[in-house]
Amino acid sequence: MLYGWTGKRLRVDLSTGSVKVEEIDGTYREKWLGGRGFNSALLYREVGPDVEPLAPENKLIFGVGPLTGTFAPSSGRTTVTAKSPMGSPPGFGDSNMGGHWGPELKYAGYDQLVIQGKAAHPVYLWIEDGRVEIRDARHIWGKLVPEADAIIKEELGNADIHVAVIGPAGENLVRFACILNDVYRAAGRSGMGAVMGSKNLKAVAVRGTGAVSIARPDEFYSICAGIRERLRKDLMVQMLYDQGTWLLTMPANYEQGWFCWRNFQKGNHPDARLLSGENHRDNYLAHREGCFACPISCGRFSRIPGGRYAGETTGGPEYETLTAIGPRVGLLDPEAVIHNNKLVNELGMDSCSCGGAIAWAMECWEKGLLSGEDTGGLALNWGDQELVDKLIKMIARREGFGNILAEGSYRAAEHFGRGQDYTMTIKGHDMSQDDPRGLGFAFGIGFATGRRGGDHLQGLPCLELTGAFYPGLVKKILGTDEAEDRLSPVKKPEMERYQEDLKAVGDSLTQCTFTHSWSFAVQPEDMARLLSAAAGIDCDAEELLKTGGRIVHLERAYWNRLLVGRLEDKNPKRFTREPMPDGPNKGTVFPEDELIPRYYEVRGWDGETGFPLPEVLKDYDLGDIADELEIYRKKYLDKIKMSQS
Amino acid sequence: MIHKTLLVDPAKCTGCRTCEMACSLRHEAKCSPLLSRTRVIKFEAKGLNFPTVCAHCSKPHCMTACTQGAIRVDEETGAVVINEALCSGCRACLTACPHGQVGFHPEKRVAFKCDLCGGDPNCARQCPTGAIKYSGVDQFLMARRRALLARSIEA
Repeated sequence: MLYGWTGKRLRVDLSTGSVKVEEIDGTYREKWLGGRGFNSALLYREVGPDVEPLAPENKLIFGVGPLTGTFAPSSGRTTVTAKSPMGSPPGFGDSNMGGHWGPELKYAGYDQLVIQGKAAHPVYLWIEDGRVEIRDARHIWGKLVPEADAIIKEELGNADIHVAVIGPAGENLVRFACILNDVYRAAGRSGMGAVMGSKNLKAVAVRGTGAVSIARPDEFYSICAGIRERLRKDLMVQMLYDQGTWLLTMPANYEQGWFCWRNFQKGNHPDARLLSGENHRDNYLAHREGCFACPISCGRFSRIPGGRYAGETTGGPEYETLTAIGPRVGLLDPEAVIHNNKLVNELGMDSCSCGGAIAWAMECWEKGLLSGEDTGGLALNWGDQELVDKLIKMIARREGFGNILAEGSYRAAEHFGRGQDYTMTIKGHDMSQDDPRGLGFAFGIGFATGRRGGDHLQGLPCLELTGAFYPGLVKKILGTDEAEDRLSPVKKPEMERYQEDLKAVGDSLTQCTFTHSWSFAVQPEDMARLLSAAAGIDCDAEELLKTGGRIVHLERAYWNRLLVGRLEDKNPKRFTREPMPDGPNKGTVFPEDELIPRYYEVRGWDGETGFPLPEVLKDYDLGDIADELEIYRKKYLDKIKMSQS
Repeated sequence: MIHKTLLVDPAKCTGCRTCEMACSLRHEAKCSPLLSRTRVIKFEAKGLNFPTVCAHCSKPHCMTACTQGAIRVDEETGAVVINEALCSGCRACLTACPHGQVGFHPEKRVAFKCDLCGGDPNCARQCPTGAIKYSGVDQFLMARRRALLARSIEA
């Protein structure tokens, strides 16, 4: 009998209609853990460098882990993986979502769902335990996310199924379209919704009546209860429950100076308190939402009581969204932000990349790089809510100027041949609203080297943000508490490495990052105890972190195989060349030239190319890809030479 | 004597379903919503969540409906409990319960329901927000009344 995992992979080919169940054996489970690890390993093996992201050959992979759907705190998450249409070149893509969809997949009997091929017309997938059906979705195509969710539940006659769905943006192949489950929980980043749309797949509805078997139930119960008690007393958790991630606004703006104002032109605004956690909680919070088995409940459900959007309700927003379609485009009105959040969710788009594209266009307008001729007569002034509302809809429906922004800011700049300096992208993928000139230098390393371009979730190195709230923790892990200082370079490569490995473990088990890397109430030792008791194995923290490192390295190799390495590991110029103009970090730039080489050294990556060295790969039990990667390393050396000549 | 019982405050429920996991793990040694005695009803699009628990009625409909004498009231805790060994699996209690609080075990083929964990219910103990409370009725109601009044005093 298998504990923790189900050991089953469901594979559906939409071109042929074939449905297969495959075994995930013990060696594979041990090597890749689950969730993100399972998905990355499959993507590396099955989706090679030549596959086009929106072609039928790309694979859309949903993965859950050995702790998903159990009593383990905050364990209900799902990773969605595919080759991403966002990057330049299109590269590795994955996105992690909360909600209750992942546990349902587990109860239906699967650790992983692989969708390949392309359906002849719009369809949706209905998985009910062992029964899998590909159903016509032509009557749902074009529907907003909440409408589609309601229709599917209605026609399947079951309100307790969980549905992962795309909106019109995904159908229209907006490059940063997302997938949402339970209406408001998004796998937002890297365009997974566009991949789903390219397969003519509107939704995946799941119902499972099974169970996750636990090897040592009494022990597992008491470990979980102990961690829950710790989380309950944890200050970070209490703050997240109280204000959600909105709590970041005040420190980000007034103390730390990384509040993304007008496409990162600066890191603070005197009126930012309009978007404070207190203001949201006291005036707009209808309800707190918890993902599966989560005692933190950082999720918000908002209601606008009056004004032009009176009566509107929506799940969220969370901090990245509220800043993306708020201050990043020059808006500080909470009602506008909540309304825009509702729009992007219901249309099915990543708020970060959507806000990023609009902000890029607004800055180009400000600098005179775009004119009315380019925009179809639209004037792109900062903070014009009527315009933002309109652009969001135009992007999702690919209308007029929106059709260009739907390609993402990187490709929009390429299209016009202008404004490249103002695309806040890494590897072609828009930044989340996080500025290393204030947020911290370990974060800056993660941005530059991250597996999905500009994004704070490569490692979420909160040791430099909240680590100081846990006396002795940073010193214990890194040997010095100097690293608690966000803007100190000391031990930052080591910090980023540690947090990346840890996050890969969390994403694979699965366990929410906020339990172990924002709050640090859950330590790697706890994760090892949870896994051991659930699955009936005997693993320790060191082994787990090594597995995390293996996953990080394989994802790195995915990029390297696309000839992406040192040259592309770069923050947007603004972060490394433009000193922060004012505020608490006035004058700061991110010291990329110092920190990235040191990070390579800490990682055991070749300083010249940024490729993992063969002996390091072997050390991570990745010897089987070392020879292949060596061929690409030689090609990459040629690329470097070309770039110098 | 009026026993303590499970009482819910939906306004505090975040819909996380921790209660379902605590319950099924404790009673069935595995994690499964279907095997949990307490269930959360979710309306995702509206952001509403309702924990549902057995009321342990004073005149239990399930007990009246049972033809096998398999349901009785535990004197110590006041819990209405099913004796699995006596249950014939006829499901009469499922239909009789006005709150839909009796489940049917897919493997054992018998009815199952909340037994208050012998007087220390895991759902209430593990609920992160206090949406499910194990409390004396009067104590629960007084706390409610006090909270309501406190709000109007502040306002």
